[in-house]
Amino acid sequence: MEESQDINRRSFMSIATWAIGALISAAFAIPGVAYIIGPALRGREAQEWIRLGSTSKVELNVPTLFKARIQRKTGWIVNEEELAVYVRTDNGRDFVAMSNICTHLGCRVRWISDQDHFFCPCHNAVFDTEGNVASGPPPRALDRFEVKAEDGQLYVLGG
Amino acid sequence: MASRLANWLDERLAWRQVWDAIFLRKVPKINWLFTLGSATLFVGVNQAVTGILLTLYYVPTPDHAYNSVQYITTEVTAGWLIRGLHHWGASALVVLTVLHMLRVIFHGAYKYPREVTWWTGVGLLLIVIGFGFTGYLLPWDQKAYWATTVGTRIAEVTPVIGNWILRIMRGGEELSAVTLARFFGVHIWVLPATVLLLVGAHLYLIIHIGISAVPKREE
Amino acid sequence: MKEEEKKEYLERYEEEKKKGVPFYPNILFKDAIVSLIMFVALLGLAFFVGAPLEERANPADTSYTPRPEWYFLFLFQLLKYFPGRLEVIGAIVLPTIALLLLAALPLLDRSARRHFSSRPLVIAGSSIVVVGIIVLTVLSVVEAPPPAETTQGDQVAALYTENCAPCHGPSISVPMGTNLHSVIALGKHEDMPAWNADLTSDEIDALAGFIQSPGGNQLFTQYCGDCHEVSDLVAGDLLELRRAIDLGAEYDAHDDADISDWSQEITAEQRTSLLNFLAAPDGQRLFALNCSSCHGRSVAYSGDQSDLEVIISQGGLHLDMPPWRDALEASQLDALARYVVDPSSEPGATDLFASYCAACHGERVPQSENFDTAREAIATGGAHELMPVWGEILTSEQLAALVNYTLDAAQGAGIDFGQQLFAQNCASCHGDFGEGGPNPALQGDIIAPISTAEYLTTRDDVTLRAIISQGQPNFGMSPFGSAYGGPLDDDEIDAIVALMRSWEDNPPVEFPPEVVVPPVPLSAEDIYDAVCSQCHGPAGEGLVGPELAGEAFASMYSDQELFAIIDRGRETTAMIAWGEILTSEQIDQLVFFIRGLSESQDTPTPSAASFSNDVVPILQAKCAVCHGSLGGWNADGYENVMTTGDNAPVVIPGDPQESLLAQWLLGTVPQGGLMPPSGMLPQDEIRLILDWIAEGALDN
Repeated sequence: MEESQDINRRSFMSIATWAIGALISAAFAIPGVAYIIGPALRGREAQEWIRLGSTSKVELNVPTLFKARIQRKTGWIVNEEELAVYVRTDNGRDFVAMSNICTHLGCRVRWISDQDHFFCPCHNAVFDTEGNVASGPPPRALDRFEVKAEDGQLYVLGG
Repeated sequence: MASRLANWLDERLAWRQVWDAIFLRKVPKINWLFTLGSATLFVGVNQAVTGILLTLYYVPTPDHAYNSVQYITTEVTAGWLIRGLHHWGASALVVLTVLHMLRVIFHGAYKYPREVTWWTGVGLLLIVIGFGFTGYLLPWDQKAYWATTVGTRIAEVTPVIGNWILRIMRGGEELSAVTLARFFGVHIWVLPATVLLLVGAHLYLIIHIGISAVPKREE
Repeated sequence: MKEEEKKEYLERYEEEKKKGVPFYPNILFKDAIVSLIMFVALLGLAFFVGAPLEERANPADTSYTPRPEWYFLFLFQLLKYFPGRLEVIGAIVLPTIALLLLAALPLLDRSARRHFSSRPLVIAGSSIVVVGIIVLTVLSVVEAPPPAETTQGDQVAALYTENCAPCHGPSISVPMGTNLHSVIALGKHEDMPAWNADLTSDEIDALAGFIQSPGGNQLFTQYCGDCHEVSDLVAGDLLELRRAIDLGAEYDAHDDADISDWSQEITAEQRTSLLNFLAAPDGQRLFALNCSSCHGRSVAYSGDQSDLEVIISQGGLHLDMPPWRDALEASQLDALARYVVDPSSEPGATDLFASYCAACHGERVPQSENFDTAREAIATGGAHELMPVWGEILTSEQLAALVNYTLDAAQGAGIDFGQQLFAQNCASCHGDFGEGGPNPALQGDIIAPISTAEYLTTRDDVTLRAIISQGQPNFGMSPFGSAYGGPLDDDEIDAIVALMRSWEDNPPVEFPPEVVVPPVPLSAEDIYDAVCSQCHGPAGEGLVGPELAGEAFASMYSDQELFAIIDRGRETTAMIAWGEILTSEQIDQLVFFIRGLSESQDTPTPSAASFSNDVVPILQAKCAVCHGSLGGWNADGYENVMTTGDNAPVVIPGDPQESLLAQWLLGTVPQGGLMPPSGMLPQDEIRLILDWIAEGALDN
């Protein structure tokens, strides 16, 4: 009788020992794995509205170049980057914001006001005022940003 | 199935012999004070696991050390937990090592035939202190910087070779990037390797000689 | 231990083992439980206390009190009892002895007795060591409390103590309406340096607030300092600050904070002083932060003070539009309203808009969300530009400062800031009024005027701002924007742009100055007046360029040397090679003319410039702030002036041309640069120093 009690006691102790071991291992493993993969799962930081400047600076029918400094954080290092955007308006109310990066190979396009088009000096690509490809190698129109005007200030969505 | 696998492995590894020798050995009846050694070992393992995880993000240069520690603490998932465990584990390790040693002194357990076990233990105490001293600098915050400045200057008091020791510890006259790099190297390579060796010897001796019994009054 | 004792021990141990238990699971179970307890304890500490991280290591901070980790504290404390040469005992000897004893323990305590009652010596000894370590640790904690509390002090008061108190004492009383921010930023009176190179704009704002309202700073430290950095809140959005202070715990962003009801705890006067601290009653700054976003930088107001006070304090609607229903038919109103909501829906209204609205609204079509409000606004007209009710937000001091500033600025003082900056940063190349001149950076290049209507109308503000902040490296203009390493922040650049804009209506320069006039006038006098006098002064008294009329100059060069200088110019200075423009005959005549200057100019016999009376005050005021304690050249005292410096001596008695001091003051050092960095000293002060050097740099 005493013997069987002793056996019970022992089997309880071994089960308890293993259970505690498993518990502690899990308590290390779960945060450990989360810790390792955490930064990998984190998506790019949410896009936010970047202020470009006053709407009054956009001349009618002429794409105007705005530059905004944005900060991009990778790990604990913050890099400052410049975002360049051409903004165009027909009526001072509706704005179109286009990237100044050529969709071909990423050169910077520029507005040639005499000829009313964007010109990319790298491979002589031409985009019209709307940013559509007029001639040259680019595969698609200039990228657009979502844009809004609030309190006389222009904002584009990016980040 | 499991027992067949166990048998298959036993034929090749003789693991049952090892298991019997380590885990099924008979041990004198002892009290709770005797768990201090195991607790120390456990916290040591905790330090190893969390320490390895910390090196995934930590960068040991003055430019980045502080920012990367801050990044671990505030931005990495569960980073605060890993660093918290490592930080408090360090204090716990010192406390437990000392308490374990006091228990050994109290029970006279350093006597024949366990003298060598005792010496490995004294070595381990020194290494724990070394871990504490080198690890302290790594976050590169004010406390770290100035405490290490003072700590290394204390070593300079040593007669004759004091300045020489200071320069070796700091890797130059000043506390610098060199100091941080070598403290890091010592903390994660030199000391752990030594610890592995000494803990191995310590455990082997405990299993080989057997854990000391609680001495009786007439002993 | 004897052999039989060893044998006896081993036998007894074997018996104990037989009576014992298996390691697994009996002992391991205990170990597991203890490990679990340890683990939970560590988790708890990590969760509730966390791992501390102080400020980033700052090797320059000598005020920090270092403390080692707690388990080294006893050693640290031990050192206190071994001062001076005894230190080695506490630091090295005692710890080494302790370690040796510890290691030698099995060799020292060799009896076979194991029970503690039979080993009093070892037990007592180790107890004493343990108690000693505990006592020392406790003492150390008690004697030097952790430094954490001391670093959480009053940041702004510390800033004041460090930067202002040495000259101003514990407090400064400033007259009402002082534009403190710009006084601190740019320096004002003779002895006050410009702080904008050393302090951030936020720090200057905080200092201004502290000076005007020290009590507010105390309140801030007491109520806000635990959560807020001063720099985050100073000169912030007044509307929000006011709301946060008035609402206290009710304020949205205070939801998570444990804040008591401020309306009970802080009196109205205290709230005012807190607000005065956060936004100092500094009209210029208040205007820049709160008004300029709508009203622009240049201040235009005509009217008297009481009207202005009413407008600012009541805010609200204050632009009048005529009620158009009197002038237009209902259908026209409808059309316009539709046009305003969506221009493309009502193409016919373009003409209406052009004839009735464009006069005020310009080409831009005002925006409206829906037809009804648009129609209502057009029909009834009236006020429809909204201004916050500043009377409810500003403290009376702030309101007064703002009103004063607006009135002053409307009379042209607003441009003052820009003018001041222009004079300091731009005028040396662009001339006082942007009229241009020889390009000191590019030999033979002439800087075109930047104040002509033609220049200004063809460049928008963005372009001007970009030019100022990024510079024009191709043309030798260095970047001035702080983002590019220059001295000016965005506000200051805006002020300069505003100044330049003020020229547009009334250009000070209509045509490029006749710096280079082909055909070259024949007479040397004409050439001198048209060209040389720009830099050397009409009578050769020296301006940007060195003095030509004095005896020092006359004796310095032979006619041939003078000819060569004019012909080939002086490299890296504004003196260009005139040989490309003037004929050698003309240069000959010029040399003759310049010689004549020094003969006719006997009159200004420089009344023996005195070092102690003339030079020392200038050096004290303009140089000693930096050149003194900081090393390098030391502007304090004759000995130092003459002998110190990395390129000592900086003064070569009798030879201003070769003296580094003079070259720095004139901006003619070969590697480029000018002292003081804030801008060239006034001409008469430079003259004094040059004269003093020319007369032999005596200690008189």
